[in-house]
Amino acid sequence: MFNQFGSTAETLSKASAVVLRIGTDAHLYDDPEDVNIAPLLDSKFESEKCEALKRLLALIAQGFDVSNFFPQVVKNVASQSSEVKKLVYLYLLHYAEKRPNEALLSINYFQKDLGDPNPLVRAWALRTMAGIRLHVIAPLALAAVGKCARDPAVYVRKCAANALPKLHDLRLEEHAPAVEELVGILLNDHSPGVVGAAAAAFTSICPNNFKLIRKNYKKLCQILPDVEEWGQILLIGTLLRYVVARHGLVRESLMLSIHGLDDKGFYEKDGLSLDKGDGDKSDSFDADLVSLVSKCYIEGPDEYLSRSSCPETVSSAFNSKETTSIASNEDVKILLQCTSPLLWSNNSAVVLAAAGVQWIMAPLEDVKKIVKPLLFLLRSSTASKYVVLCNILVFAKAVPSLFAPHFEDFFICSSDAYQVKAHKLEMLSLIATTASISSILREFEDYIKDPDRRFAADTVAAIGLCAKRLPTVPATCLDGLLALVRQESFAGDLESVDEEAGVLVQAVMSIQTIIERDPLSHEKVIIQLFRSLDSIKVAAARATIIWMIGVYCSLGHIIPRMLTTITKYLAWSFKSEASETKLQILNTTAKVLANAEVDDFQMLKRIVVYVFELGECDLSYDVRDRTRFLKKLLSCKLACHEPAKDSVASQESIAEHVVEHVFGRKLKPFSPLALQNRFYLPGSLSQIVLHAAPGYEPLPKPCSFVFEEHDQLSDSDKHREATDLNGSQESSETVDEDGSSEYDSESSNGSDFSSDGDEKTISNDPLIQISEVAVSADQEELRSKRALDLWLDEQPSTSNQTSSALDRNQSSYAKISIGDLGSRVKPKSYTLLDPGSGNGLKVDYTFLSEVSTVSPLHVCVEVLFENSSTEPIREVHLEDEEVMKVSDSAEQTLVGKANASYNNVPTIIPMEEISCLEPRQSAKRLIQVRFHHHLLPMRLTLHYNGKKVPVKLRPDLGYLVKPFSMSVEEFLATESRLPGMFEYSRRCTFTDHVKDSRMENGKDKFLSICESITLKVLSNSNLHLVSVDLPVANTLEDATGLRLRFSSKILSSEIPLLITITVEGKCTEVLNSTVKINCEETVFGLNLLNRIANFMVEPSSSATL
Amino acid sequence: MLQCIFLLSDSGEVMLEKQLTGHRVDRSICAYFWDQSISQGDSFKLLPVIASPTHYLFQIVRDGITFLACSQVEMPPLMAIEFLCRVADVLSDYLGGLNEDLVKDNFIIVYELLDEMIDNGFPLTTEPSILREMIAPPNLVSKMLSVVTGNASNVSDTLPSGTGSCVPWRPTDPKYSSNEVYVDLVEEMDAIVNRDGELVKCEIYGEVQMSSQLTGFPDLTLSFANPSVLEDVRFHAVKKLKNTPLYVKPQITSDSGTCRISVLVGIRTDPGKTIESITLSFQLPHCVSSADLSSNHGTVTILSNKTCSWTIGRIPKDKTPCLSGTLALGTGLERLHVFPTFKLGFKIMGIALSGLRIEKLDLQTLPPRLYKGFRAQTRAGEFDVRL
Repeated sequence: MFNQFGSTAETLSKASAVVLRIGTDAHLYDDPEDVNIAPLLDSKFESEKCEALKRLLALIAQGFDVSNFFPQVVKNVASQSSEVKKLVYLYLLHYAEKRPNEALLSINYFQKDLGDPNPLVRAWALRTMAGIRLHVIAPLALAAVGKCARDPAVYVRKCAANALPKLHDLRLEEHAPAVEELVGILLNDHSPGVVGAAAAAFTSICPNNFKLIRKNYKKLCQILPDVEEWGQILLIGTLLRYVVARHGLVRESLMLSIHGLDDKGFYEKDGLSLDKGDGDKSDSFDADLVSLVSKCYIEGPDEYLSRSSCPETVSSAFNSKETTSIASNEDVKILLQCTSPLLWSNNSAVVLAAAGVQWIMAPLEDVKKIVKPLLFLLRSSTASKYVVLCNILVFAKAVPSLFAPHFEDFFICSSDAYQVKAHKLEMLSLIATTASISSILREFEDYIKDPDRRFAADTVAAIGLCAKRLPTVPATCLDGLLALVRQESFAGDLESVDEEAGVLVQAVMSIQTIIERDPLSHEKVIIQLFRSLDSIKVAAARATIIWMIGVYCSLGHIIPRMLTTITKYLAWSFKSEASETKLQILNTTAKVLANAEVDDFQMLKRIVVYVFELGECDLSYDVRDRTRFLKKLLSCKLACHEPAKDSVASQESIAEHVVEHVFGRKLKPFSPLALQNRFYLPGSLSQIVLHAAPGYEPLPKPCSFVFEEHDQLSDSDKHREATDLNGSQESSETVDEDGSSEYDSESSNGSDFSSDGDEKTISNDPLIQISEVAVSADQEELRSKRALDLWLDEQPSTSNQTSSALDRNQSSYAKISIGDLGSRVKPKSYTLLDPGSGNGLKVDYTFLSEVSTVSPLHVCVEVLFENSSTEPIREVHLEDEEVMKVSDSAEQTLVGKANASYNNVPTIIPMEEISCLEPRQSAKRLIQVRFHHHLLPMRLTLHYNGKKVPVKLRPDLGYLVKPFSMSVEEFLATESRLPGMFEYSRRCTFTDHVKDSRMENGKDKFLSICESITLKVLSNSNLHLVSVDLPVANTLEDATGLRLRFSSKILSSEIPLLITITVEGKCTEVLNSTVKINCEETVFGLNLLNRIANFMVEPSSSATL
Repeated sequence: MLQCIFLLSDSGEVMLEKQLTGHRVDRSICAYFWDQSISQGDSFKLLPVIASPTHYLFQIVRDGITFLACSQVEMPPLMAIEFLCRVADVLSDYLGGLNEDLVKDNFIIVYELLDEMIDNGFPLTTEPSILREMIAPPNLVSKMLSVVTGNASNVSDTLPSGTGSCVPWRPTDPKYSSNEVYVDLVEEMDAIVNRDGELVKCEIYGEVQMSSQLTGFPDLTLSFANPSVLEDVRFHAVKKLKNTPLYVKPQITSDSGTCRISVLVGIRTDPGKTIESITLSFQLPHCVSSADLSSNHGTVTILSNKTCSWTIGRIPKDKTPCLSGTLALGTGLERLHVFPTFKLGFKIMGIALSGLRIEKLDLQTLPPRLYKGFRAQTRAGEFDVRL
């Protein structure tokens, strides 16, 4: 009956559990593989995709590798359902690094999502895109972050700030300046949420770039209270580091108090305030320790402690120039003001960070205000309690009086974890004062009876520490400890021997620490201890006591008289001892003998000889060794019959001295500094684990950040330089053009422009056809409105808007045809090997626009060899480097993927060998090269005179495309098919024409501009000029609206790539141009865009006409 | 910054892993963690910051679930711990508790939440109210809906308005039909009674909790009738007391291998309201081999880990609850030389033991149909009675 009922209840509870689990994802977690996942992923129903993705995540959660589904999952990134999208992103981020090639497939969708009107979608796309750690997409991701950093939605900007460390983590040197600049922009954001995230990015990217902080320091301080808690933690640290680097430490602060206080003298040298510290006394502290702490903060303990092995030299003063005063320094004042309210934050990490600032920077009398907030943190979770206690311990070590009045807060609760208990004990023994010691000792008495014996043992040790610190206590302590020793010795042979033994050993050690201070007055205690030796069974405790016999054998009057009895006892018990104790017996008997008086000498000698005999036959080799050593050492003593007080025989006296030195040494005074003295910044991980964690940095050197006015100027310059440098690096990878850049001059009306085309003017030249192309302009407007650029443009009055306004005004365009400029396109050669490193052989190369005969992937490169030495050079040959084959497979496949069919084609079609090159002679050779990646140089080996020299052939992006002839209509149609994510533009300036127009007064300005731009573009890349449009309504001086269109195809993939250059500005002045690229291959397109923008800006040397 | 978060069940199984950065952390680190915690016993398990050979580990334990986070670089440890605590709070809020089954059953929600809460190892959105708008918590309706229709997305399409706000815990423009505000004064009593029966420490920590459904952003002023009782107003109230409402009188005598234990619990000073859910728990010392305990009121249970708990409930009028019995000591032991600490738990509704009273709550502009509610409650915090 009952059974039945029981089973019903069981089924009921089971049933209710099932009911509860209905509608959850329980079944997916339990059996993720009970259906075939692959077809679900391809399903057309969102819900099925969702289920499949959930199953995959369940497998990930359980630690299975499901990266083989990657291609199918990536496809779903285009889903409209936010849940599917989220799940795909979760999956993608988990595996992106593992499957880089497939991850690239998703890039275009991210690009598209980045233009979504929904900020959540933009943020997700950015987070995921930046999270895919691929070097190839780093430029894209950087561009995306740059856009999102100016997003109207706070959330997106915050995600942009979070994305920066991801980019930084890729360690791409060329992007570092751009990333740091973005950090600066985001730090300057007006939204506190963004600033918090930017502070985190700053900490992980460029923690010492104080220039970024200097610009916004005051603002950052003011915004600090509104920043999110997590951001606050890092921002506080950043501000502190900045202030220290800029102004140094504060003279009134605790850190420097040792130097400034000698005259005022309101601290005690010993650092122990003996009466109840009631706030006024908060300035009594351990001066040496404080000084050590501040040194450690600045230099890092590893460096500092290794340098100065002797802690006494600590107090080498800080340079007084490197300090500041709170009264005079506004920055310090603000820092303290804005961090002190954070002491009452809800988040313990913020409180600790704020307390750290006050601790280091606040004037001495203000430091005590960190006490109560810190104590309040002890009420938070167990985990944070432990960390807070670790930090409080450091504070208390330096300034015990800070926490002395609050000793009750460190009383131990039964629910505390063992570590917390141990720290509290250490704390109590640190802050005990004569006023509080009685309560503390009463507490300790309770703790000794705690069931946790390890804790009890720690308590006993703490009692010893207390007694050592406070001279008035020992009497009471000692009685208690002796009682404990007696009691424990009874309990010593219990089951839980190990734990009990710990208590006993600690008790004996604590007694020893107390006695050590003043052995003479504790003679009776020592004797009591000796007497209890018989009842104590624990080897370690016995060993300690026996050791004490040796140390105090000549103390006072009573002990020396007891010695014979004691040594007899020791000799008697020797056989049954543990080897640890045996060693101590050997030592002690030897010491006793060395210090023996005349009366007992013979007796002792016999005992010692007996003990040595036993020792020599011991099982433990340690004991045997020790015995032999001591026997030899004491041979003189053992030989003579009298204690050799006055023996002057030289041979023996040396032995005497040795013995005296070995056994008669006084105990060294115990230095508190030798204790745990590694200090790290408050709140740091290193302080908890007590070693410098990777990435730990001490405070910057005081006043290491010197800021001067001209610095400020150069600041922005440097940034520009940095970006320029960035650009030029890129451009240096590319190579300039070649002479024979030929292109069809597709003059729309077949006009016969003479190639010199000198005296043409717009107004009356019949060769300029005026046509209405307003439609196309409108089209473009619409497109760019639709595109993501709309929300990106920070100032509404930039190019887009102004040009659109202009466009509307001047709706009619003239189409210009330009004659063949081919003859004027000059080759730009790049150096492969300079004569300096090539023993006079100079090798230059230029890219040709000819299409390769081998495969469409190859680029023709003309290599010019020139012998500038006086000797002939023989057997010059250029070939592929073998090592090349192990290049990064990821990137290889990137380009190689689309053209698997060409993979068997060699990467280089070598040139024919030059057998001999006479001095001053030069030779041209043609090689055809297939680049593995459009940015990576190709490694070649140059052979000459039997030598091998590795050289690098850098690809020029401009020649990895080929001209693709199309009409304007085709161009516009193609362009309209490539909107949004496939369209990207960049602004740059153009100056070449200025020189030209100055030189040729008669020539039409527009034409010369068109010519110089075309020339510039065609000299640097292999493109087809589609059309040149000119706004007709323009005044003669205004070139705004001039538009050049180029078309091309990417060599490797045959994907069309359209380039439009739009010009703004006066004819005679520097022009602002916008280069726009439409291309499906976004990675390539963006890189090419950068390349074009870079060469447009470069003043060209070959522009002389 | 954090690289990875693992959720471990109390049996050591890795229920969930969430990689946060590109530097993947292998889950073998969990095996290391578990090996250590088994070999070193409880003390290691409770150490919140661990330096393992490859990573720094931060851990918190909530309701048997271990939240383990890994980092390889310097970062504020409290930040990691606070974050893990926040994750645990949010999860238990979402799932209505925390246990192995709940986490496994709702692993998708856990993943989605983690993804929103932390980005690249740095906390992103941790405000529960915003998270609720982004990811719908599982409730009966959505569960049923998912059973019936087969799909119910719990991921919101729109960005919550609070993300850009300086007061993220409130929506940007809250509107409620009825304007209600409730104030709870929750106090916790911490006390230590030492082995001599003296009250060593007795403090009350108070929290003022508010639940507001007020339209707009009105300014509120809360006044206390007797603020002088507060010792340090800046913090959640702290007050030292001279007396506790309950007394616990434990007695133990030991003789030739057996101990007699008796514990009396009674009311010392009547607070004026009923003291409810009184519990007393203590850990039997290791050397106790068996225990036979009984009480004249309430129930006594002894768990396998030698934790003894006595549930009293309310103090009856006619008698004083008493726990008595004998403890048998391990072989070879004559007397008990270690003594347990009793942990007392209780709850008093409707009164703040500190004597703090809320006088009034003023609103700058009074909305229509305003309802204000006040409540006070005291419960035991760390109430230790040592024997």
